[in-house]
Amino acid sequence: MKQSISQIKNSLKKKSISVEELHDEFFKKAKLNYNNAYNLITDKAQNKSLINESQKRYDNSNSLPLDGIPLGIKDLFCTKGVRTTASSKILSNFTPNYESFVTQQLLNNGSIFIGKNNCDEFAMGSSNETSHFGPVINPWKNKNEPNNNLVPGGSSGGSAAAVAEGSCVASMGTDTGGSIRQPASLCGIVGLKPTFGSCSRWGIVAFASSLDQAGPLTNCVEDAAHILNSINKYDFNDSTSSNHKRDDYVKDLNKKFEKKIKIGIPSDYLKDVSQDILNQIENAKKVLSQHDIEFIDVEFTTTEYALSTYYILAPAEASSNLARYDGIRYGVREKGENLDDIYLNSRTKGFGDEVKRRILIGAYVLSAGYYDAYYRQAQKVRRLIKNDFERILRDVDFILTPTTPNEAFKIGDKLDPISMYKNDIYTVPTSLAGLPGVSIPSGLSSNGLPLGIQFIGNYFQEKKLLQLAALAEKELAFNE
Amino acid sequence: MSNNWEMVIGLEVHAQLKTSSKLFSSSPNQFGSEPNENVNFIDSGMPGMLPVLNFACIEKAIKTGFALNFTINKYSVFERKNYFYPDLPQGYQISQFEFPILTEGFINIDNGQDQKKIRIERAHLEQDAGKSIHDIDPKYSFIDLNRVGTPLLEIVSYPDLSSADEVVNYMSTLRQILMYIDVCDGNMQEGSLRADVNLSIRKPGGDLGTRCEIKNLNSFKFIKQAIEFEFQRQIEVLESGGSVEQNTMLFDTNTGETRAMRSKEFSHDYRYFPDPDLLPVNITQEQIDKIQPTLGELPNQKLDRYISELKIEKDISKIIISEKENTKVFEQMVNDTEVPPKLIASWLVGDIFAFVKENNLDVSSLLEKTKVIVELLKLISDDVISNKVGKEILPQVLNGENSPMEIVKKMGLEQVSDTSELEKIINESLQDEEENIAKFQGGSDRVLGYFVGKCLKASKGKGNPKLINELLLEKLKK
Amino acid sequence: MSDIDIKRISYLAKLKLPQEKEEFYANSLKEIIKWVDNLKQIDTNEVKPLHNVINATESIRNDEINKHNSVEEVLSNAPERAQNFFKVPKVVD
Repeated sequence: MKQSISQIKNSLKKKSISVEELHDEFFKKAKLNYNNAYNLITDKAQNKSLINESQKRYDNSNSLPLDGIPLGIKDLFCTKGVRTTASSKILSNFTPNYESFVTQQLLNNGSIFIGKNNCDEFAMGSSNETSHFGPVINPWKNKNEPNNNLVPGGSSGGSAAAVAEGSCVASMGTDTGGSIRQPASLCGIVGLKPTFGSCSRWGIVAFASSLDQAGPLTNCVEDAAHILNSINKYDFNDSTSSNHKRDDYVKDLNKKFEKKIKIGIPSDYLKDVSQDILNQIENAKKVLSQHDIEFIDVEFTTTEYALSTYYILAPAEASSNLARYDGIRYGVREKGENLDDIYLNSRTKGFGDEVKRRILIGAYVLSAGYYDAYYRQAQKVRRLIKNDFERILRDVDFILTPTTPNEAFKIGDKLDPISMYKNDIYTVPTSLAGLPGVSIPSGLSSNGLPLGIQFIGNYFQEKKLLQLAALAEKELAFNE
Repeated sequence: MSNNWEMVIGLEVHAQLKTSSKLFSSSPNQFGSEPNENVNFIDSGMPGMLPVLNFACIEKAIKTGFALNFTINKYSVFERKNYFYPDLPQGYQISQFEFPILTEGFINIDNGQDQKKIRIERAHLEQDAGKSIHDIDPKYSFIDLNRVGTPLLEIVSYPDLSSADEVVNYMSTLRQILMYIDVCDGNMQEGSLRADVNLSIRKPGGDLGTRCEIKNLNSFKFIKQAIEFEFQRQIEVLESGGSVEQNTMLFDTNTGETRAMRSKEFSHDYRYFPDPDLLPVNITQEQIDKIQPTLGELPNQKLDRYISELKIEKDISKIIISEKENTKVFEQMVNDTEVPPKLIASWLVGDIFAFVKENNLDVSSLLEKTKVIVELLKLISDDVISNKVGKEILPQVLNGENSPMEIVKKMGLEQVSDTSELEKIINESLQDEEENIAKFQGGSDRVLGYFVGKCLKASKGKGNPKLINELLLEKLKK
Repeated sequence: MSDIDIKRISYLAKLKLPQEKEEFYANSLKEIIKWVDNLKQIDTNEVKPLHNVINATESIRNDEINKHNSVEEVLSNAPERAQNFFKVPKVVD
């Protein structure tokens, strides 16, 4: 049984383990990189002074909230002096001279970075198969086909696999259309996407700016609350950062709700799902109904348009966000006879197939003659989707959905992009609305693979959302 | 040949805003620094960097809105203009497209006789690009990103201009206003103010032809040359039976010719869309109201006041208001003394500016010298020294050698206004002049001038001419 | 839906697709665009586009200079440099 951050901190406080011993335990596991969950593992020498300082704080009984906790960091966060690649060839030699806002907060709170987690290239993917550094392997196996390697989900697949295999206590991921929640679900761990505007995007390699949001992948809900306490902060340098008062998410995490709460279950989400998936929802309903919780059937009117909206808006933003990768100021420059050749060769060879596909989609939907029909229309439908959520959240406190339409599948199984995109059917609508969502493991499929359920809360209501998730986690007892 | 054709011109003027820091980053907005010294990670387009709006740029835009009679839009949106160029690190330029901050303005330009109203379609904020330097190495271009992110206000006129002179007039009027309201330093050599010229030709009353855009002109001389060349070029194309292609032209400052840019395989498509890293700009009426009082007097308002209140001739007033620095020097002098403004004005545009020009000085250097200049002018208006002496000692005064009074005393140049002394000089000068005296008394006024000159000479130029004149008349009429 | 001019789109995106891949991408794009075409069914005449779920920014900067980094830090990742410039093959207008 894996230890939670609180448990580890207690051991460190009691001196039953030192910060260095803790580090080494995870470092050794990570070093094996058995599931290819890391693009880079930090040299111990590089972390030595952090380990010593952390130990000193424990010795002086003034430890920080995440002191000495070994974390994985998705290779999309710029880390000062540490190679940051976005799992792309074009950035495979890039070492930023700055630290992202979110990882800086984690460092300020005493945590130690074990390494940079593999992910889909520029976070574009739902299976972690688009990485320049090769696919990540899900630590779980299908009990009926135990020899097949399965995908961990994506794009934060390396983060999810690393936490699941136990090579780091938690990992920082990013979620644009489900990239935290979906891999968390497929790897049997907890994944939280906070409300858009909660955690600064400053220093995170951008995919789709109006959707990208950082969040933790953890073994338990309480760990997610610990990490969220560190990273959920207003940042002046991100113009889309919200400046509201943040809660203490750990405090009162297990407190009972003061009044009866209502949870909506969207019937349209459950139309064509497998029995395995239905079981997750039914089971959650059953265990939570013992508490003062009422379940209500709700119905969205926009669900069938969410993926289309997302696959117009996200590529459009990405096509522009990725224009800076040209081999001129940083990154890999390919040879060329003239400047234009350098541009074309660096970008064509530097980006993988899926990234190129999305850049092309983005350029198309923004181009003259198509902008109104696609990009502007998608922005309008995005408003309708947001309105749809707001309507339903007026009647209920939370929404309960499956996290994914299926369990982890075999590496190389889904070659068709559209069937891959459909993996995000339950996570994309929340992203478009900007709402917070948390996925917790709810049970096993008939193949013995983990499945997750997603709770969606109202804007900036992460505290209540995590309280509910913690309750469900306890009742579902997945980890026991 | 060109008699049959007229030109129709619209101007896009790019004015760099006079701010300390850049439009979306806090690195210095400064000309002339070492390469890439004013560049931070936002400017160089590093992964994950995000823009944060410098509010001073909004304030400068609002000020411009008032000065150029624009509608100031409370809602404006920054969008991305996507294209690839080595001095454009993000791969897009943040600009305003569908919702610019200023719309529908105008200014009046003075055509000598009357005024012409030039309508301005819009003005929007955007980032400047960096610079590619081509002349250091024969095979390579060197990229300096210092200018990246410098705030620009692009002011887009309607095609209301119909000659090169009018364009220059419009642009210099614009420049003057922007400098007055402290929005732009107006330094065209350093590229603070640049223009793209959109020119097409037509027969009077005929349909508008296809327009060509001449990019990036940064002097009045080049603007004039480029327009004149392009006008002739289009005429020649049409008269020889060809058709003008819609093209972006470059102006070669060495040959004085325009030429089409290497044509691209496909036409441009900038794929503008709202920048998702920024949110729409919402300005309040309160913020707008706060800015209006900071505007100060505009050039045309100053001109009117100089003429009607200070009673200064129009031509001289125009010279003074042509540069804001001039008016600062002038008004500081007017406020410092009871010397008539008219005297100050004529000295300023005359001998004082001549001195500044001869010595390659900035007009602003006079700001420290207004006290002594005024002292000198006071000596003249009080008849302590003559105008002539004043001119003679002006350089010494401006070089700060001594105070005007001390110079005058030291050199014994004080004007003689002592009646008895002057009478002595007059008496001596009238000796042996019976013939001329008779001429005067016979009605020849011209002789008076001769006598005044003789007396002045005898006084070594120090005699008060007015007094000499009076005393002479008195004496001769006896 | 009109045909997708893959040459023009890749030109705009600064990508040079090898001949044999052009058709692959063209077909893939066509399929995806067809898939997202269902948005056209929705009447959005009265709907305002949504730029962002956050309405207003808190980040308005005062006009102050803040030098965070050195020239060296800006240039340290440059594939090619000359003195303190980024270096590229000659740009022809």
